[in-house]
Amino acid sequence: MSEPGFFADVWSYLTTADNWTGSLGIRTLFVEHVWMSLLAIGIAFAIAFPVALAIGHRRKAEFLVVSISNAGRAIPSLAILAFLVPFSIRLGLGIGFWPTMVALVALAIPPLVTNTYIGIQEVDPDIVEAARGMGMTERRVLWGIEVPLAVPLIVAGLRIAMLTVIATATLAALVGWGGLGRLIVDGFAVQNRPKIFAGALLVASLAIGVDLLLGWAGRRLSPRTSGDLSERQAKANAAAAVG
Amino acid sequence: MRRLFRSHVLGAALVALALVAAACDGSGGDGNGNGSLTIGAVGFAENQILGEMYAQALEAAGYDVERQLNLDSREIVQPAIESGEVDIAPEYLATLAVFLGGDGGTDPAEVHAQLEELLADRGQTVLEFSSAVDTNAFVVTEDTASEHDLSAVSDLEGIAGELTLGGPPECPEREFCIPGLEEVYGVEFADFVPLDVGGPLTVEALAGGEIDVGLLFSTDGAIEANGFVVLEDDRQLQQADNIAPVVSTEALNDEIAGILNGISAALDTPTMTALNAQVTVDQEDPADVAAGFLEDSGLI
Repeated sequence: MSEPGFFADVWSYLTTADNWTGSLGIRTLFVEHVWMSLLAIGIAFAIAFPVALAIGHRRKAEFLVVSISNAGRAIPSLAILAFLVPFSIRLGLGIGFWPTMVALVALAIPPLVTNTYIGIQEVDPDIVEAARGMGMTERRVLWGIEVPLAVPLIVAGLRIAMLTVIATATLAALVGWGGLGRLIVDGFAVQNRPKIFAGALLVASLAIGVDLLLGWAGRRLSPRTSGDLSERQAKANAAAAVG
Repeated sequence: MRRLFRSHVLGAALVALALVAAACDGSGGDGNGNGSLTIGAVGFAENQILGEMYAQALEAAGYDVERQLNLDSREIVQPAIESGEVDIAPEYLATLAVFLGGDGGTDPAEVHAQLEELLADRGQTVLEFSSAVDTNAFVVTEDTASEHDLSAVSDLEGIAGELTLGGPPECPEREFCIPGLEEVYGVEFADFVPLDVGGPLTVEALAGGEIDVGLLFSTDGAIEANGFVVLEDDRQLQQADNIAPVVSTEALNDEIAGILNGISAALDTPTMTALNAQVTVDQEDPADVAAGFLEDSGLI
């Protein structure tokens, strides 16, 4: 595998126009992979975010965060997939899309919950108390102070979840769906090793690309992180709410 | 400082130990006739049952046997036999012959001779073939059959463009699958969904309407169990796929040949189909099914 010929084959696979067209072509698989990942993160975020906000803000039932996190790490995605496929078919929902979606959402929830919770929880309680003392409503405290200060950690959680989802979405190919995993699974079935490698390369590139994008976005969205500045910002928010 | 140094040395030692352990491949013998044989099978019911039959019969004769019964495809098994990782594999005459570059054919004796030649250069021997035959079967549900009036593969010619085929991921590269359908029948499906090797995923997809035509194996018990209709191979795309063991010539001896030939002789298509059904429909273990057959036939 270390011969230059192998990588030449991989390059050749990636640059053959034929391999990009059709329902099993690279372009289709790439698009399927991206939107499956986005959908999974979207659903996971919609579930995880409110739960983590509630726990972090009210500081109640905090044990739940640890439980969710541990349960999440213990989940065997392959088992979920295998188990759900017959149900999906019987319910007329297709073969592999929804079982994979469930497995991906289950994987994405723990890092999102954990990071959002910690992000909220780490906000200096003094600031929060001061804000409440000045008459800010709970909602303003949450959205005006806690969430903005938690953004760096929330984005970090999104990055972790996104990486996991993009990498694991390759499993969809094992249960008859598409995505870049198709290149790996089908390549394996006929021992087309350049194809397998090309598939893996594409998944990794997608994951790294998305990670860099989210990193940049995170930096743009975070309030200035110098301690003084963020405290001042928070106090300013508090004052504005009252005055 | 001393403590840090010690923990570093300990860590390095553990890593070295792990590397050595990983490098020392603990898997058994190389099967070069030293009483230790590795049986390889592709991960579908029939192949696994056959693999188990070979394994148990050889064990009863005193051989040390290792089982690798979950391999993915011929592309894995063949190189494995050549490299000595696998010694014995249950195969199908015509499909293997074509895979190795031969012409195939519909007369088993002819194809067997062809295969003998093709394998000689590869250090492999094909033993006697069984009367049991297992070919690709293109299968539809009863509803699909009556809706489009289908009873033979040639009936698909006009309407394949509206239908989806589901089968093993290697279908697009197999003569007896997609390329053959196009060449011999002029049939081109609208879409192909890669599923599994004649297994539960394909069965479920067909039963659930996710695919219109499924590729299953002709001896699959799931066909009858689900009331599927096998489209008749009226233009003879499928060929003489009689079951025959392929053995690495180095590992072969007369005793092994005798044992394996005995199994092939005792098998026929209806028997194989019934055994397959015990696994795929009754959910029994291939090892138990194989044991039952060997005992009933007086082979062990």
